[in-house]
Amino acid sequence: MTTSRRQFFGRAAAVSAGVALTSPLEEAVAAPENDSGVVEVAFKVNGERRKLGVDPRVTLLDALRERLQLTGTKKGCDRGQCGACTVHVDDRRVLSCLTLAVTVQGKEVTTIEGIADGGELHSVQRAFIENDGFQCGFCTSGQIMSAVKVVEEREVRTDDQIREAMSGNICRCGAYPNILAAIKQVKES
Amino acid sequence: MRAFDYAAAATVDDALKLARPGSAFLAGGTTLVDLMKLDVLTPDRVIDVNSLPLKGIRLHAGALRIGALERMSDVAAHPVVTAVHPMISRALLLSASWQLRNMASIGGNLLQRTRCDYFRDVTSACNKRRPGSGCPALTGVNRGHAILGTSDSCVATHASDVAVAFVALEAQVVVRGKDGDRTIPLDDFYRLPGSTPERENALAPGELVAEVVVPTLPWARHSTYLKIRDRQSYEFALTSVAAAVDLKRGVVQDVRLAAGGVGTKPWRLRAVEEALKGGVAMERTFADAAESAVDGARPLAHNAFKTSLLKRSIVRALLDAAGVR
Amino acid sequence: MIGQPVDRVDGRIKVTGAAPYAADTKVPGVAYGYLVTSTIGKGSVTAMDTAAALASPGVLAVYTPFNPLKLFAYVQEQNDERFPPLQDNEVRFFGQAIGFVVAETWEQARDAAGLVTATYQQQPPATEFPGRTARRFDEVEEVVGTQALGDITFTATYTTPFQHHCAMEPHATVATWNGDHLTVYTVSQGALLVQRRLSETLGIDAAKIHVLSPHVGGGFGGKWGNWAQVPLACAASKALGRPIKAVLTREQVFAMAGHRPTTEQTLTMTCTADGKLTSIVNDGVTSRGLGGNWSESVANWTLTTYASPNIRVTKKIVPLNLGAATVMRAPGEANGSFALESAMDELAEQLGVDPVELRLRNYATLVPNTGKPWSSKHLDECYRIGAEEFGWAERPKGVRATVDGDWLVGTGMATATYGAGRGQASVKVRLHPDGTASVSGTAADLGTGQYTVFAILVADELGIPVSSVRPELGDSTSPAAANAGGSTSTGTNGPAVQVAAKAVQTELITLAVSNPRSPFHGKDPATVVDRDGSISSGGVTMSFGTLLTTCDVGGVEAVGTSPRLVDPEHGYRSFGAHFCEVRVHRLTGEPRVTRWRSVCDAGTIVNAKAARSQIQGAVVMGIGQTLLEATEVDHATGRFANANLASYLVPVHSDIPKIDVRFLNHPDPLVSGLGAKGIGELGIVGVAGAIANAVHHATGVRVRDLPITLDKLL
Repeated sequence: MTTSRRQFFGRAAAVSAGVALTSPLEEAVAAPENDSGVVEVAFKVNGERRKLGVDPRVTLLDALRERLQLTGTKKGCDRGQCGACTVHVDDRRVLSCLTLAVTVQGKEVTTIEGIADGGELHSVQRAFIENDGFQCGFCTSGQIMSAVKVVEEREVRTDDQIREAMSGNICRCGAYPNILAAIKQVKES
Repeated sequence: MRAFDYAAAATVDDALKLARPGSAFLAGGTTLVDLMKLDVLTPDRVIDVNSLPLKGIRLHAGALRIGALERMSDVAAHPVVTAVHPMISRALLLSASWQLRNMASIGGNLLQRTRCDYFRDVTSACNKRRPGSGCPALTGVNRGHAILGTSDSCVATHASDVAVAFVALEAQVVVRGKDGDRTIPLDDFYRLPGSTPERENALAPGELVAEVVVPTLPWARHSTYLKIRDRQSYEFALTSVAAAVDLKRGVVQDVRLAAGGVGTKPWRLRAVEEALKGGVAMERTFADAAESAVDGARPLAHNAFKTSLLKRSIVRALLDAAGVR
Repeated sequence: MIGQPVDRVDGRIKVTGAAPYAADTKVPGVAYGYLVTSTIGKGSVTAMDTAAALASPGVLAVYTPFNPLKLFAYVQEQNDERFPPLQDNEVRFFGQAIGFVVAETWEQARDAAGLVTATYQQQPPATEFPGRTARRFDEVEEVVGTQALGDITFTATYTTPFQHHCAMEPHATVATWNGDHLTVYTVSQGALLVQRRLSETLGIDAAKIHVLSPHVGGGFGGKWGNWAQVPLACAASKALGRPIKAVLTREQVFAMAGHRPTTEQTLTMTCTADGKLTSIVNDGVTSRGLGGNWSESVANWTLTTYASPNIRVTKKIVPLNLGAATVMRAPGEANGSFALESAMDELAEQLGVDPVELRLRNYATLVPNTGKPWSSKHLDECYRIGAEEFGWAERPKGVRATVDGDWLVGTGMATATYGAGRGQASVKVRLHPDGTASVSGTAADLGTGQYTVFAILVADELGIPVSSVRPELGDSTSPAAANAGGSTSTGTNGPAVQVAAKAVQTELITLAVSNPRSPFHGKDPATVVDRDGSISSGGVTMSFGTLLTTCDVGGVEAVGTSPRLVDPEHGYRSFGAHFCEVRVHRLTGEPRVTRWRSVCDAGTIVNAKAARSQIQGAVVMGIGQTLLEATEVDHATGRFANANLASYLVPVHSDIPKIDVRFLNHPDPLVSGLGAKGIGELGIVGVAGAIANAVHHATGVRVRDLPITLDKLL
């Protein structure tokens, strides 16, 4: 068992159990927490070993953006409702905004900055340019990180299956038809 | 988000020892981290349970057993699940998004909190979040709220899809605490809000969901999970129906039905099931039987359409599950 | 090169995550600002307790109306907030900025903000809009017209809800000072809009404010104004002597950063027995958020769309305790066209006339409300080609006539038009010794493709590859070009780019004949030709890069200015027609768009690829507007109850079918030499009407209240 170095402190709080935990806000407000103890976390980002001392509140998204200066991953909602922050953790696409940085201890994280092979763009990146699969570009990192996985998913074949598999990535500019075209182009090649 | 201690538990015993009032277990984080950011949940200790051995998907003693830490996407794609209970796979695949399904655990899914926008906003009153503070959804914006199982204290809808399928299939949950395991039918695990909407389930403080056990039911391969929503994807249900039908020569021998998006918990439709048994599988039969689905329904200002939509969803799901047109 | 499909020049940096958006700005020593917002809808703040927040780890400062940062009153109207934040105690809407916490980390600032408490004197907020409850008008405005009656009368009322822009990028500002010079990295639809606003509210010379907004994650009108985080980040940065980054949460964007107002239109049309309109009256009502000044002229689209000897529109404004209503993609037209295009379909049905035919019978060959000729108009061709390619002729006349399995299938069409014109713009083109050209202006690329338009036009004028042109936008130190709004970027900036590119060639020739190191030294400029990136004369040809290198000159540049078009004799608009197919489930009622074709007459198209994308994107947003999007107000508190991207539904990938777009590509002969009109907003106009009409055709149900959700079709 590992715990943070910060001393546990006592506070009565209503609890049910599991993640179904209830705690009145007033109580939290009345007992402000002054010690935000730091937890060491080591993980690989785009193949490189990184070690960070982070406040356990820090999400993987904020660790990437504000601590590791990897700002290609975007914060669109910070609530798991848009997909802009999609990255790969141990080769699965996940939302970095709902992932606490401390939980990626020992894992491999891949971001948009890590999928090109040196100067050579990933085939999905090239297809997004060729098919105009973006406009403002803000959701694009997340779209591409999802698309890279959708291209690999053998059971995702038809247009509707691709659309469904990409529905966790919102594009307000409405580049969907071109994103579909980009993914099909890579799948077919 | 309030500051908290983080602890990663390596064993179930460790996790149970670390638990105490004010702590929370962290699995996929898709509910907990979200609600902590909103200050809806303010644990002072977060116990990471992801390394616990509550995993595995297997057929054993006439039941499908799913470890609580299995991820939604892995369960949905598992060949045993798709072979034995395709309804479960379908319900999972219509949930959330691929990314969220890669993160969220089955145990966490069953414990996910309501999507009521008053519950999620700490500036609003909410009896579930702050017992006794009132329920603004009763007179406020309530198009997405429940019509069944509601009380004057709470009309929040249960959000899980797969729990609806599990309830239809009479699944049980195994919960583990310091005093050992308890096995509880999922339908009994969830509580109606009554005057204590803050108590949502039968978990005692410090207990963990360990496993979901779904009895096999060979004819339940003829099943569907229908989810109706405004958006085609990435949205919680307005209504959903888990349906499995056992037909012989066009006559309903047995049937399982449960609904989501309409109840304060996953809603087993026993009266509809009874009305269907022995009936000829056709739209008229289904529509007549579906009438009783909304017995006792208490529609609100914006969600009255759900009484009609639920009945129509049942008919559509039954047509699909029974393979009749 | 103009009109060819060209890949975006900013493509590579966008697909690699390298394009710097405001919140990506890396400034050493940055501190983080987080807004505290009001939790009542109307009243005043009587006290605030900031002690707990100030004692919280890492907190540097907490600003409130009781401990404000000085900001001077806003002067210019910018469709955003009426008052700078924290300068008074009044609460005008729920979610108004009443505090600003600055801390060492984002988490510390966010969590300290949660510890700030406010005491209020509370009043019930006014949030009810006519059409839903009691009528109450505080302001009335009338526009244009007379009225007459014909043989046949049709009247109906159409309503639309509050909607939100939901650009994927939340509003972000990073401010840093060097002495009394301010540098601001921020989201904006025009760097100069930020510079002017900051100059007036900070009370400093605009020349000392450098605004950088090179990449913007979508705007749609929501980033035209400057919202609370902009002045607060700048003023706090000055006060604390630290660079500050402030980013709104998604919930805060909903509450305070503008919304499309809710509207009601009552349309009364009269016509002759053969369907010629004799009068159109549109009585419009719009909300105005008390956080701002702006309201929507929702009925005005009726003035310019169909021929009628009598047209009258009115506008009533209902002020509500909400954040500022502001421009959102086709403000007025998107909602206005829903009513008129639905009404035309209803009238066609009443008359037994095909909807396209009815539109042709009332085709406005002159501007309906002024009687003046159009600069150009090929809307009839849009109808004809659209109908042909869509297969409109096979459309069954009756409703509920087509069933495919359990799905009721219907088709609908509508007209699109949006204003066009040309403002003044200045642009600089510079030629470099390495053979490249750069082109700069304060214009913004919100995803519109403006970077690529600049590159194409320079490349076309100079005869060099697009890849040799480096466009630089979103910098307030550049020449003043058009902001990104009102579909005017390409129409206004395009001609300026052409002027500048021509001017720099003149400069180059002057250099060629006057510089002693030049092989063209002493030649008559009239004999020197600049073509394909090279200078030629008397059999000698030299690329401009080589010439500059030979002359040891670091570059030549020229600023070109294209003046504002003043033409009181013509009407200018872009036109289009939408055709779509919708399916509605016979049992559960959910409507799904399954086929789409748009034909657009928007003058010269500069980049066929990005232009097509922009129309597609506008149709996608229109599908959201029509079928999904409504921000609901909790009337007890004045809070937008579904202020998040899970409850406010924008279209996801699965909602969107194949969208076919065709441009007629007829240059407008009067708007400019380039002939380009606007396309940014055109694509959304008429979408709601087309879908509503298709839903009616599929089901027989006429829905006059957006969004058209399944509960209205059961």
